This record gives sequence, C-alpha cells and structure tokens, in this order.
Amino acid sequence: MNIIELKHVNKRYDDGFVALKDINLKIESGKFYSLLGPSGSGKSTILRIIAGFSQPTEGRVFFAGKDITDLDPAKRQINTVFQNYALFSHLNVFDNVAFGLKIKKRPLREIKPIVKDALKMVRLEGYANREISELSGGQQQRVAIARAIVNEPKVLLLDESLSALDKRLRKEMQFELRAIQKKLGITFIFVTHDQEEALSMSDEIFVLNNGRIEQNGSPIDIYDEPINDFVARFIGNSNILPGRMIKDYEVEFANQRFKCADAGMKANEKVEIVIRPEDLDITSPEKGKLVVTAQTQLFLGDHFEIKAVDADENEWLIHSTNGCKLNQRIGLYFDPEDIHVMRLHESQKDFNARLESYEDEEHDND
Amino acid sequence: MTDKKTRTLFIVPYLLWIILFVILPMLLILWYSLTDSSHHFTLNNFVQFFRNGIFLRMMLNSFWYAFLITLVTLLISYPAAYFLTRVKNSQIWLLLIILPTWINLLLKAYAFIGIFSNGGLFNQFLHLFGIGPVNFLFTDFAFIFVATYIEIPFMILPIYSAIKDINPAVVQASEDLGASRWQTFKYILWPLSWPGVESGIQAIFIPSLSLFMLTRLIGGNRVITLGTAIEEYFMTTMNWNMGATIGVVLIFLMVVVMLITGRKRRRKKVNL
Amino acid sequence: MKSKHFVAKFYLIFVLVVLYVPIFYLIYFSFSSGRNMNKFEHFTWMHYQTLFQDNRLLAIFLETILLALLSSLIATIVGTLGAIAIAGLQKKWQQKTLLALNNVLIVSPDVIIGASFLIFFTALGIGLNFGSVLLSHIAFSIPIVVLMVLPRLKELDYSLIDAARDLGANNYQVFSNVMIPALMPGIFAGMFMALTYSLDDFGVTFFVTGNGFSTLSVEIYSRARQGIDLEINALSTVMFLFVLLLVGIYYFITTRKGRKGRKMVGGLIK
Repeated sequence: MNIIELKHVNKRYDDGFVALKDINLKIESGKFYSLLGPSGSGKSTILRIIAGFSQPTEGRVFFAGKDITDLDPAKRQINTVFQNYALFSHLNVFDNVAFGLKIKKRPLREIKPIVKDALKMVRLEGYANREISELSGGQQQRVAIARAIVNEPKVLLLDESLSALDKRLRKEMQFELRAIQKKLGITFIFVTHDQEEALSMSDEIFVLNNGRIEQNGSPIDIYDEPINDFVARFIGNSNILPGRMIKDYEVEFANQRFKCADAGMKANEKVEIVIRPEDLDITSPEKGKLVVTAQTQLFLGDHFEIKAVDADENEWLIHSTNGCKLNQRIGLYFDPEDIHVMRLHESQKDFNARLESYEDEEHDND
Repeated sequence: MTDKKTRTLFIVPYLLWIILFVILPMLLILWYSLTDSSHHFTLNNFVQFFRNGIFLRMMLNSFWYAFLITLVTLLISYPAAYFLTRVKNSQIWLLLIILPTWINLLLKAYAFIGIFSNGGLFNQFLHLFGIGPVNFLFTDFAFIFVATYIEIPFMILPIYSAIKDINPAVVQASEDLGASRWQTFKYILWPLSWPGVESGIQAIFIPSLSLFMLTRLIGGNRVITLGTAIEEYFMTTMNWNMGATIGVVLIFLMVVVMLITGRKRRRKKVNL
Repeated sequence: MKSKHFVAKFYLIFVLVVLYVPIFYLIYFSFSSGRNMNKFEHFTWMHYQTLFQDNRLLAIFLETILLALLSSLIATIVGTLGAIAIAGLQKKWQQKTLLALNNVLIVSPDVIIGASFLIFFTALGIGLNFGSVLLSHIAFSIPIVVLMVLPRLKELDYSLIDAARDLGANNYQVFSNVMIPALMPGIFAGMFMALTYSLDDFGVTFFVTGNGFSTLSVEIYSRARQGIDLEINALSTVMFLFVLLLVGIYYFITTRKGRKGRKMVGGLIK
C-alpha cells in the first residue's frame, strides 16, 4: 500500500518559475526515503506540497489512497521537522512537545506520559522544563523531532534537518534518526542536498534536478548504476568519459577496448562511462589496463586523492590507500564490473527494463 | 579604543548634561513637591492631593482615558501591523504610515477642530445616515478620538517589527501540528509579538497621561487629566509646588506602568 | 490566497485614509475663500498671500528651523561622544546606570520635562527666551542620539581599529578616519531624529519659552485656541510639502548609502 502518492504534480510560481515538472512518486509505508538534489532542484517544494503548505499548480496528492491535495496542513496525518527547527521560543521544551496535544484539548494527565515517551525517544529525558534558548543545536533538533512525533503521524517530513549541525553531530544524528524511524515504524521523508547523508540513511532515494526526478532506487543502485552523468556526478566523485559500445559486454573509451558488465544496447552506440575513483587500483604501468601520469596528490586521512591524466589528456581521479610518486607513469587496474555504462537520455523505466533483461540475481531491482 | 584621557574628555559634556538636565531637574521637581511657596518643607501638597477628591478623580480619569486610548489604538494597529507583514512593497506602505507622524501634532489637532465642528466633515458624514448634527467638539469622545488618531503609527511600528521578526516557519509548524488559525494566533503569534505590543503600549500609555494641548484644543478648556492639571498649576495659577506634586505622582504612576508591562512572566514547571 | 491579500490591502487603505483625511482636509480648505472648514466657497490663493506677508510667522518659521538645526547639531556631538564613552566603560554597572539615566528623558512625558526644566531655569536665574528653549531642545535630543549611535558601536568591528593601529594610525586618526565613518549611519540617524524632535516639539517648548520667543508649534497652538484661521491651513500645506521634501532627501541619502531599506524606514519614526 502506498501511503503517499504524487500524480503528475507540477508547480509554477507567479513569477513564471517552474519548480516541479510532472512529478510522479510513490511512497510506501514504514520506509526511510530521501529526496536528494542541489538547491533549487524542487526537493523542498515536494515536501511542502506533501505537508500542505503549498498547493501544486497541477496534479494530485494522495494519502493512503485519498486525495488530500486541498486539505489543510492541520488536518493531515503528516508532521514536519523544519529546517531550522521552528521551535516556539516563548515556550519551554515541555510546552513545545505538548503543543499538538494541547491544541487537541487532551487533558494534561494524558499529555504528560506521551510527552515523556517522546522525549525519551529522542534521548532528552529530564529536559522538559528547559527553555529552548538553553539547548544546543542538536538538542533543539531532538525537540523538533519529539514535537512532530507526539501527534503520531503516519509520515514524518524532515526538511534539511541536519544541515545546521556540525559534522560530528550530524553523523550521530544520522544513526539516531534511522533508529527512531525503525522504532516508530512510520515513513520518514528526508530532504537533503548531502549525498552521503542520503546514502547512509535511506531505504530509497529520489535524486532531483531542475524540478524533475532523475532517478530513484536504493542507495546501492543509485551509487552503482547512475542513470546519467548528473546523478553520477552528484552522488560521489566520478570519472566520466565519453565512450562507444562495441557490442554486449564490450565498451571502448580512452581509445582502448574493455570488457564490461553492461548489455542491451545497440552496437556502436555512443555512451558515457563512469568509474568511481575508489574502484581504480594503482599498479605498475605494465600490469595496468590504463596508463596515466599522476599530477597532484592530497592526503585525506583515510586515503589519498590523486589526480592524473592519460595519453588523451583525460583527467582521472583516484582514491587509493597508498600514495604514489608524482609525474611518473602509473598503471590503473579495474574490474569489468567497475565500468558503469550510461546511455544518453535513457528514461528510468527503460533503464530498469534493460537492467532486468540481462542481470542475474545478484541485484534485485524493484 | 581611544585612550583613557580622550575618553574622559568625551564623557565630560555628556555627564554634565546628565547632571544638569536629568538629575537636577528631577531633584528640583521633588524638592518643589515637598515645600510650600515660602520654601519650607511640608508634606501638605501630597496630603491635599490624596485628600481632595478632585485630584483623585482626575488621576482615575487620566488612567481611564490613557487606557481607552491605548486599547483602541492597539485594536486598530495590530491587524494593520499584521497585514503590513503580509503585503508586497511593505516598505512603501510603512513609509505612508510614518509620514503623517511628521506633520506637526498641533496642526493635526487643529484639523479636528474643523472636522468635529457642527458643520464639519464628521457631521456631514453622519448626516448621510440621517444622524446629527452632534456636537463633538470639546467632548471627551473627541479627545480620545484625536489622541488615538495621533498614536496609531507609534503602535503599528513596534508591532510590525515584532511580527516581522517571527520566523514564518513557526507559524507553519503550528498549523502542521494541527492548530487552527485562531489557535495559531492565540498560542504563537500573539505571545511572540508581545514584546512589540509591550513597547507600543509603553510608547502610548505614558504620553497619553499628559496630552494637555489636546485637552485644551479638542477636549474643551477643562482640566481633565494630570497633564492638564500640571500645565494649569505651572502656567496659569502659578502654584508650582502643587504642580510639582502632581508631576511626582505622574512619575510614580509611570514607573508602575513600566514595571507592570516590563515584568517577566514566570513559568510553572511540570513533573513528568 | 488572493482574497487574503485583498482583505489586508483593504484594511491598510482604510487605516491610511483615516491617517491622511485630516491632513488633506486642512490642505483642501486652505484654498477656500470662506472663513471656516465646513463649506468650500471659491478657490483662492488669498490665505497663502496672507501667510507670506505675515512677517511675524515667517520669522518664527525661520527661528524654528534655526533652533532645530542648532540643537540637533550640538546634541549630536555631545550624544556621539557620550555613546563612545558609554561603550568604552569597563564596568557593566556603570554602563547600566548611565543608560538608565540616559533614558529618563525619553520615557518622561513632555509636561514633566517641561515643568522640571522651567523650575531648573528659574532656579538658576536663566531667562526664558531662545537660550532656554535651545538648551531644552539640546537636552531632550541627546538621549536619542546616544540610542541611535550605541548599537553601531556594539556592531563595530574592533579588528578595524586594531588594523588601523597596526598600520600606524594615531589615536586621532583612528577616531576620525575609522570610528566616525563606521558610526556615521547611526550619527546621521540620530541627528535626523533630533531634528524632527525639535521641529515637532510643543510640550517642552511651551513651558520654557518666554514672551520674546516662540516656535511654530507654540504659535499654532495659540492661534488655534482662537478658533479657525485658514492662514494656518495654508501653513499646513507648506509644512506638508516641507516634510515631503525632507523625507525625499532622507530617502535619497539612505538608499544611496548601503541600501538598507528596512533600517532606513525604521530610522524615520520619531
């Protein structure tokens, strides 16, 4: 059963800006979703439409099969954790969390245990009487979550919720959010521009660009099989090169032919290939499938980032646990599965169909 | 910053000002209230003030009028301030609202002498409904009306900036949590804009206690507020000691008003 | 959404109409040949002719402006130096005490200020004339200047001063080349407010002025007590245009500098 479904949703603003173009998406119950994209890609607009703060220009929004397009945000079983938390600064933690229940005129003796549980869920027991201004960013974040979950929503929307936190706290909250979602068993829809965040938390990711969904799928699918160079670039660093499909399981790029794991394309079709920097291994020029010259090298703590060029002046980005000598020829080795072939302008539907046509059971696409 | 010597030099004229024009006048007014016309110490002025029904009635009157003026101003200004935050080009609207405050107050009061006269605009307007002519000039209604008219921009501005400072997401959060419009106003907008309302009240209530020129021009030549009484004692009957006494009472009331509006509300704690 | 904007605009227009009707009412009748503000008789420039031949009123008009310029200038100097001195105080309680004393004249009603200054001038034997009015106007303008300059001082980037020092500037150069320019918007706003306070004041002036000197406010008051005189209407028109001009100049200067529209309009309120 889809808890939320958007059908042909378009959003145009008065000034003519088109924020969303024919968005169709299905959200299942009890999963963790991410809407991932750069700013201005329309991800927050989708969230606001689901929450009810914004109406689509065209298209409908369904909640558990019912059309809720014109329903007030107050009447939706959906709650939001806002970008900068939007906590009520004139109320303390208890009154913030209890707000939704007090609005419903629930008696205080019923409210208290619910608030207590919610604060326990976000690990803020004993903070009920604190003022909002006394809390750290991470704690405010938790209060915002607690406030949103006391209403027992079926869906929780999180708008760039971790972006205000520092890196360490963010990692911590990522684990915690995932844990809270598992415990509550409700749907989370998380909006972010941070691909790492989306990859580490989600069951499914929607990658957005220019008001369109570019690709959706599990984090592994999206990382391993980006549908086009936008997704490939946006999700992690990539080496992207133009290439040509010779035949099934053989592709040509950088003036060489390589074995690959992709098939189902026309012979001699122009394609783009993606190789992730961590899939490139440094070896001697003789053993390498490709020979490049290293130009710069940065030590990043857990790996080296090396930039190199091949004989055709293509740039290669390499992540390697060991460094190499600069301005020397080195060999690059990679497996056929490390080469990801992307057809130009392939739709998600065709892409999935093609993958299913030749792939064995090691991937399960839905 | 600049070194000690220059800073001392900087502060000299300022301190001189504080001593001469802030502390000394206050002490002098207190001194006058505690002496009689031959400069002997006496509490008689205060005794007279609180014994004599006229003064007490005047005090109540002043308060009642100031309260009415503040209340009516607030009722008109709050929606205006709220709408100001919602319209496009709010800067231009704001400028248009501020502009009349620049016209000399006496001229505006003078305009109302014409507007409220028996053949004036107000009565012509009422005539359309078959009412009138009613004599408005020199009534308490006219006084309150004109005072409200003058104070409206001074109430709109602080409330406007208070509402403008509220994060719009907070209002959405309230709706998101199931609050109706009225509930959002009552529990979120009103308390969060309260600092603006508070400074609006302070900016209006206290001056309203002393609008003697309005009571003279519009309210008729009657002594109805503490401000008028002070002016009367200083400028007409020349009994400065009694005038100073009323002044001291006014200052005292003013401090009380500021303490009441400025107090912090204490929050009750919950046990979970 | 559309209807909500309609309600908002409608209400704001209603408020604006209420605010402007008295002003335009005055201006309208300044062109009437009648003797009251009930019925417009014939169009005439008569009242303007009377106004511009009224030497007494013109003298008062000029003296009022002179008073405003002089008092705001002096108040700005004293207030700015005072604000710098307050900001430089090391002890919190000293700052708080000075600020509290500073605000006394801002929160006090006009009658109290006027009455206490009247006692003060009489006690010191200072005659009630231009001098006493000037001193009073300076006195009630200083705290406004301080309040406008202080926030600027708080925002002042002290590394600027260190940088100037580091580059070899002496105390005077730091003051005149770094601090004053950085404080300029606040000083300017303070001076402007002092100017409008002075131009608009009636309550205090009424108490501390004597026979020899009068300001426009006091003059209008004493004439208005005599009843309707359409020469005052003509004067309102002139003053309204004068205000428009001032606002225009202020708007022009502040939008040219910095383009901080929000702060700008905030600074316009008295």
